[in-house]
Amino acid sequence: MSSTAGPADQATRRTFLARAVTAIQGLMGAIVAAVVGGATLAPSFAGARRSWQRAAAVSDVDADVPTPITLRLIRQDGYRQVVDRRVVYVQKEGANGVRVLDSTCTHLGCRTRYDEALKRFLCPCHGGVYDLDGSVLDGPPPAPLRRLDARIDGGDVVVRV
Amino acid sequence: MWTALLDWLDARTGYRTLRSHALDEPLPPGTGWAFTTGSVVALLIGCQVLTGIGLAMYYVPSPSLAYDSLRYLMSEVPLGALMRGLHFWGASFVVVAAVIHLLRVFLSGAYKAPRELTWITGLVLLLVILGFSLSGYLLPWDQKAYWATTVTISVAESTPVVGGLLANVLRGGSELGSLTLGRWFAAHVFLLPLALLVFVVAHVALMRKHGISGPIAPVSGAPIPFYPFHVIKDTLMMAAVFAALFTAALMFPAHLDEIANPADANYVPRPEWYFLSLFQLLKYFPGPLEVVATQVVPGLVVGGLFALPFLDRGHSRHPWAPSRRVFTVAMGVLGMSVVLLTTLGLRDAPVRFDPNTWGPQSVAGFLTAEGEGNACVRCHVDGGPASPVRTTRIGRDEGWITFHLSDPTAIAPGARPVDPNLDPMLDGDATRAVLAYLRRMRAGATPPVVAPETAMVVRTIGTRCMACHRLDGDGGDTGPDLSHIGARRDAAAIHRIVNDPNDEYGDSVMPIYGTRLTAAEIAAIADYLAARK
Repeated sequence: MSSTAGPADQATRRTFLARAVTAIQGLMGAIVAAVVGGATLAPSFAGARRSWQRAAAVSDVDADVPTPITLRLIRQDGYRQVVDRRVVYVQKEGANGVRVLDSTCTHLGCRTRYDEALKRFLCPCHGGVYDLDGSVLDGPPPAPLRRLDARIDGGDVVVRV
Repeated sequence: MWTALLDWLDARTGYRTLRSHALDEPLPPGTGWAFTTGSVVALLIGCQVLTGIGLAMYYVPSPSLAYDSLRYLMSEVPLGALMRGLHFWGASFVVVAAVIHLLRVFLSGAYKAPRELTWITGLVLLLVILGFSLSGYLLPWDQKAYWATTVTISVAESTPVVGGLLANVLRGGSELGSLTLGRWFAAHVFLLPLALLVFVVAHVALMRKHGISGPIAPVSGAPIPFYPFHVIKDTLMMAAVFAALFTAALMFPAHLDEIANPADANYVPRPEWYFLSLFQLLKYFPGPLEVVATQVVPGLVVGGLFALPFLDRGHSRHPWAPSRRVFTVAMGVLGMSVVLLTTLGLRDAPVRFDPNTWGPQSVAGFLTAEGEGNACVRCHVDGGPASPVRTTRIGRDEGWITFHLSDPTAIAPGARPVDPNLDPMLDGDATRAVLAYLRRMRAGATPPVVAPETAMVVRTIGTRCMACHRLDGDGGDTGPDLSHIGARRDAAAIHRIVNDPNDEYGDSVMPIYGTRLTAAEIAAIADYLAARK
């Protein structure tokens, strides 16, 4: 700007100021982006919270027939609490074990049902068929029914959901 | 490769011409720091837009969820409180920056021909910014928001002839409620941003069309290229303001009151500080004269500002030039009046609510809901049919909770007829105490620690006495406030009154507690209250 500066000085000065402008404005932009971006994206990376829930009394569960149990799960959904209902199949396994299968079909997420005559889990949507232990016997499902962590605690079956 | 790509892009779009048009404006020599005020406003508006978008990802414009969504953002979301803090403080900063910009333009006489419309679009932008402040103030749906908006709408209601209609349009009906919140939210995030965009574009386009006014007295020399020689000044000034904004948001987080309680007639409403001068002015024009403060004075000020370029037609731009002196004096008087009224308004500011101040009523509610032998844990336990009371953060209104507390199995009030013979689980006094406790918890308080020896007396005072008396901000208004009763009465006098108020006052509406409480209970109450100096 100074009238005594030569053209070369003027050019250097111009380059320096232009870089300073870019750097300072970039820094302010980055700070705002970090705050807004952080606050926006943070919940995306929060894992689901799991806890042990009582599913049924051991005395209500059979060894050879899966018992459908509706779990009532109170879950924090952002700023409100919601109650999810989730159906699981509970079955005794061995002397002290218990097997709990998620009733959701691994193909596209339909709810399977247990057919007592066939002793199979059937999916009504695309004809998936699962064995008593959850393994796929027929149809499109890519994986066995999901098995949930479960144990017997006193007289109760508890599952981790 | 990179240059070739940019060349191609330029050949197709001509962006280099646009960029050089935007940046290579020659400025009048002598253009200095005073001309950075507009850029600061632009920076702050940009910041408000970005943080506003972030807030909108969480905010729900509904009375039952607005407050909880903000509480969640502030306490659970990383950086959420900071983001709201930037938006909250940004609102104040942008008003101040816009007023400073206006004063700079005024003092340098930059509104004179041919820049009248630049001035007018700028004034419209200032009104739009104030509209943002006003509409944004309601959105948190806390006590402050609810009651300040009640006042704002009453001000609109005082407009002659059309006031009633105007107020109903602002409220979306005759009561302030969900419809009000919906339309103020839509105004805040759709309507006003659109207006802002249109007028910012017009303001900047007009500024470019006529060039900036430059120093009052022309300086000789070569023009200054806008980029980067003036942009660096803009940028440094913006950086200083941004640093101040960020520090404010970090050091003084935005406040959230208790959730709006339309039944609480004791709340002292108060607008945001930049409307405080108008609010204070209202105090000097009571009754039928109110319209002077709500309409006449603001109307004259705004009208005068709009008319300024047409009233001040002289060529001199110096603020003390003979033709301009009258306007400079008028602006000085206006500025000093605003400062004076704001100072007076700030002086009687109410005490800020802190959810962690636990008075006897909320503590009694805590003991009722969570203390030994309470009935709530039958359902409100981990893994039970309902969440523990402490974490339930119930989003129901108080009418619902009141019903639920008298008949806990009724989780849908109105679904079955009320049994007149039903023995309510909690009586009205205990219910009020639990409501006070739940309000504190909803506002993010930590549960109180109650010494076992004071539990009984606090519980008795919180339920019995505070049904009618006020103590530490909670309680009823039938009897006198007991917050400092110890300064007026000693323990013996309090004991006598609680035992039988008729002994002291003759015919009193206060119940006789000598027959309802034990002597030990009355003595404990008297000692507790006498200690409240």
